[in-house]
Amino acid sequence: MSKVIGDVILDVQNISLRFGGVKALTDISFNVKEHEIRSIIGPNGAGKSSMLNCINGVYTPQEGSITFRGQKFDHMNSRQVAEMGIARTFQNLALFKGMSVIDNIMTGRNLQIKSNLLMQALRVGPAQREEEAHREKVEHIIDFLEIQAFRKTPVGQLPYGLQKRVDLGRALAMEPQVLLLDEPMAGMNLEEKQDMCRFILDVNDEFGTTIVLIEHDMGVVMDISDRVVVLDYGKKIGDGEPEEVRNNEDVIRAYLGTGH
Amino acid sequence: MAFFLEALFGGLMAGMLYALVALGFVLIFKASGVFNFAQGAMVLFAALAMARFSEWAPGWLGIEDKFLGNLVAFVLAAGVMFVLAWVIERLVLRHLVNQEGVTLLMATLGITYFLDGLGQTIFGSDIYKIDVGMPKDPVFLFESIFQGGVMINLEDVYAACIAALLVVVLSLFFQKTSTGRALRAVADDHQAAQSIGIPLNRIWVIVWFVAGITALVAGIIWGSKMGVQFSLTTVALRALPVIILGGLTSVPGAIIGGLIIGVGEKLSEVYIGPMVGGGIEIWFAYVLALVFLLFRPQGLFGEKIIDRV
Repeated sequence: MSKVIGDVILDVQNISLRFGGVKALTDISFNVKEHEIRSIIGPNGAGKSSMLNCINGVYTPQEGSITFRGQKFDHMNSRQVAEMGIARTFQNLALFKGMSVIDNIMTGRNLQIKSNLLMQALRVGPAQREEEAHREKVEHIIDFLEIQAFRKTPVGQLPYGLQKRVDLGRALAMEPQVLLLDEPMAGMNLEEKQDMCRFILDVNDEFGTTIVLIEHDMGVVMDISDRVVVLDYGKKIGDGEPEEVRNNEDVIRAYLGTGH
Repeated sequence: MAFFLEALFGGLMAGMLYALVALGFVLIFKASGVFNFAQGAMVLFAALAMARFSEWAPGWLGIEDKFLGNLVAFVLAAGVMFVLAWVIERLVLRHLVNQEGVTLLMATLGITYFLDGLGQTIFGSDIYKIDVGMPKDPVFLFESIFQGGVMINLEDVYAACIAALLVVVLSLFFQKTSTGRALRAVADDHQAAQSIGIPLNRIWVIVWFVAGITALVAGIIWGSKMGVQFSLTTVALRALPVIILGGLTSVPGAIIGGLIIGVGEKLSEVYIGPMVGGGIEIWFAYVLALVFLLFRPQGLFGEKIIDRV
């Protein structure tokens, strides 16, 4: 792959997050460069999702800051984050179950819809054209994720692997600059994992989207990531290219235990 | 035959009024996943506001015209409902983001009692009347076909038309607009809705305001029929079987459920009533709701909930 990795787009500095007496994250720093696939790995309970939730504005860290495109924040706010062009998917699916696939993905376009309520309700002139333009983008995403056949199906009725794709589709509909993926391959079989890997690589390749990926399946991560951060018990124990991380003593210990 | 038609029409009209109240429940549930126990209290609150403003407004502004006075009162009452929606979001809902549905249900139970008290403190606790100029006299239809014709209350016809109009507007809003889509999204999952940039707080104000307007319309119609008084809150109780029948998530369901119950009540009272000594009207709706709960708990049009194990 001959892609050009740009400057630092997202910089996480000295983030600490506590829930009462439990230290979920301790002094974590790392950065993400434009167009790269950056993974955060670690055993269960290492603080990976907490990290993502700090970036996404769901949790407010007690210490540290996050810089996005040169703008520094002590804490993020979910809506602001969405407006700045950071989208996410969820580890435990958080889809709008009663709505069809197409409506779910359309919600991702909500921030971009400009025409007013009355015009939309009556489907007149510019509002109609706008709706069609958004719909076209959504159709493109549906083609891309190969879920054409399920357009009108309520997502609650789809199998798990497909729901994961819809989740990704909704995030893609926001045309994000940075895409946060929380264990996109959790609970999938081999074939589904391969499909998902292909989609992630294609998104990165075709749209140039920067991707921050959380995963605990080492194999997958090492194959598709440009750089990897390793967390264990809320602390950073490794950071670098996959090859480097794979040979890191601390990382091996965290994954395999001290006996080896 | 004429007698049957009369009972049928009477039932349909009464059903439309039930549907109107049920609609308020469905709206809030569809759009925020909260079963709003306070809907009945909101109907009373809105009706009180409307009744009192239409008394006061002409004095404040020197309006002579009755229609204009009512219009001003309606706008003021709608304003009150908006402030109420804003306050409820600010003081209650905002602090309960991502909580279980039952927590929110209990919160609305609290809002119910608060509203009952507040409404009577501000607007008084007597019986007031709302007069929006709806005709009170009955008309007779089909006089050429049946002897004596079929008697219908014009007031009921007006009410039914208003309710139908409201339903059309609301359906357009929910199905065709991006805000409607956002509302449905929030109902399904708070966190996911936030992640795609839907402003939860604003959405909640909108939903409660829309439910407030529905309560206001229901309050005006019921109020002009039977006077604005505390017993209006029990109208909400009448709407419960309607929702069970129609399905908690369906706007058309609320309408059709209302009609079925209205007609069922009337017809069973007229035809079966005499055999068992009458009084069927009072319990008919609840028994029907029980039967539905046993055999079709999601209602006629509700979404079937499938949980994967």
